Amino acid sequence: MTNFLNLIQNEVIKIYRLKSTWAMYVILALIIIGVGLLAKTYGDFMTYEEDTWRETLETENAEYMKDTEEFPDMESFNSTFIEINNYYLEHDIMPESYGAWQFVMENEMLLSLVSLFTIIVAAGILANEFRWGTIKLLLIRPISRTKILISKYSAVLIFSFITFLFVLLFSWIIGGIFIGFDGMNPHIVLEKGDGVEYVPVIGEIITDYGFSLVNLLMMATFAFMISSIFRNSALAIGLAIFLMLAGNQIVFFFIERDWAKYILFANTNLSQYFNGNTPMMEGMTLGFSVTVLVVYYIIFAAITWIFFAKRDVAGH
Amino acid sequence: MTEIAMQLTNVRKRIGNKEIIKGLSFTINRGEVFGFIGPNGAGKTTTIRMMVGLMKLTEGDVHILGKSIKTEFKEAIREVGGIVENPELYPFLTGAQNLKQYARMIPGITQERIDETVKLVGLEKVMNEKVGRYSLGMRQRIGIAQALLHKPSVLILDEPTNGLDPAGIREIRQYIRKLATEHNVAVIISSHLLSEIELICDRIGIIKNGELVAIQAVKENTPAGEQQLLQVEMEATPLEKALEVVNRKTPAAQTNGKITFQTEKENIPLLISDLVKENILIYEVQVTKSTLEDKFFDLIGENIID
Repeated sequence: MTNFLNLIQNEVIKIYRLKSTWAMYVILALIIIGVGLLAKTYGDFMTYEEDTWRETLETENAEYMKDTEEFPDMESFNSTFIEINNYYLEHDIMPESYGAWQFVMENEMLLSLVSLFTIIVAAGILANEFRWGTIKLLLIRPISRTKILISKYSAVLIFSFITFLFVLLFSWIIGGIFIGFDGMNPHIVLEKGDGVEYVPVIGEIITDYGFSLVNLLMMATFAFMISSIFRNSALAIGLAIFLMLAGNQIVFFFIERDWAKYILFANTNLSQYFNGNTPMMEGMTLGFSVTVLVVYYIIFAAITWIFFAKRDVAGH
Repeated sequence: MTEIAMQLTNVRKRIGNKEIIKGLSFTINRGEVFGFIGPNGAGKTTTIRMMVGLMKLTEGDVHILGKSIKTEFKEAIREVGGIVENPELYPFLTGAQNLKQYARMIPGITQERIDETVKLVGLEKVMNEKVGRYSLGMRQRIGIAQALLHKPSVLILDEPTNGLDPAGIREIRQYIRKLATEHNVAVIISSHLLSEIELICDRIGIIKNGELVAIQAVKENTPAGEQQLLQVEMEATPLEKALEVVNRKTPAAQTNGKITFQTEKENIPLLISDLVKENILIYEVQVTKSTLEDKFFDLIGENIID
């Protein structure tokens, strides 16, 4: 076991000694700071006072109405805001000011960047050893290839997790500095599948970020597999990113077919079963999607293993 | 002392329909330096890759200290250290960080052992520099260091003196000899530099088209009972007279103002004394013995080496 932990340590060291890894964190940090600055500069956040918040909400609603009259296209958009404001008024809850936690929640889109970086690392961790020629020295140790493979995969997951936490924490800190910390457990009213609801922001963050992890994990495993088959990181990165971006289109293209629900990307978004959302296709349940995901995962893992553990390491 | 370190039995490798290695069988003893030579494409690297388990054997087996590389990989490879092809380490890590990587993979390698190995290959000063900045010679040294960390019984080195300066080559050569004689390590060296092999190795195996053409000891390359003829080159004046004197004993020829002939070793002093008696001035007598290179070319045919 010590041996295995040592292997993971080796792999993590190799990831974090690469300059390209640090570039990823710099990019994420710059984007978060940039979004924070934009929010601070252009975001006209309402601050609600104890005595006047009801009037403020009424004024906001009036503005939304006026806006809708001028631009009828904006109706659905504005009506949601009105609905949310009315919820506060009806339930007599004072809206909390925008702050760090809400900033974190809105930065969920940054997770697609985390996915992207995880794909790059997963694609490189095997292929690079072949490119550097170091695979030969790595495999002539008294360690099975399976163990080396698992240690590398584990290192990718560790990288992904650290990056994930980095986005969360750094967003929270930047949000707090630029906009203000909004307490330990803020609640807001959000539009859900069946109407608006009063929910804790942190709970929303956990579910949103959590659901996006499914896709991240599947794409990282896919990139890892391609890297094992072709021993080429560029191909693995390209294919994985293409599928990540085109996944939904692929599903919609085949949506009329019976077998469309077996496509990986029809099942990666598990949030379709929660919050009163309707599943993408008939006959799909949470159990079904989880089963499909597990089957894909096992297939990816098996192919990765067969190609890495069973194949000769020949010349360049 | 003749404990078998590595044994190849009928090792074959087939890729597609092509048989690349056609049944190699030989043994390498502990404390022996074994040279593995052959023209490019003869199958040297493929054989080495099979020895260390990077490539699977189509047929046959390799035993390291009696452990099969096929069925007891971990136990077998524990006894092997090596460089396969080029000494490739992580260019973005320092020398020290690279060695730490390999130290973590095998239990029982202490920091002292790392320091000891670094000292051995003389890289103390550059341990904190990135390997990407190392010269080829330094890379060879650190490659050897990683191969020795776990005190292997079998050391496999592909072109170990490649990229080293003459002083470095001599150092490595002495070091390899020391490993073999003092630490009883079996060293397998592949090389194109035949003169190198001759200087380091006890025995050589010559491989051609995936077949072992010959195995022979370097030191005693003349079968017993057969006298070895030496090629002698002599510079003397007057040339004509010298030629005549030499011709009495053995047929001599004149090339580039020098006399050349073949004779047995014990005849050389007799010849010289004859020449001196005839008042011939001898400036230089040179023996060019039949080298490994000639044998090598004899065995594999000069035309196919590149």
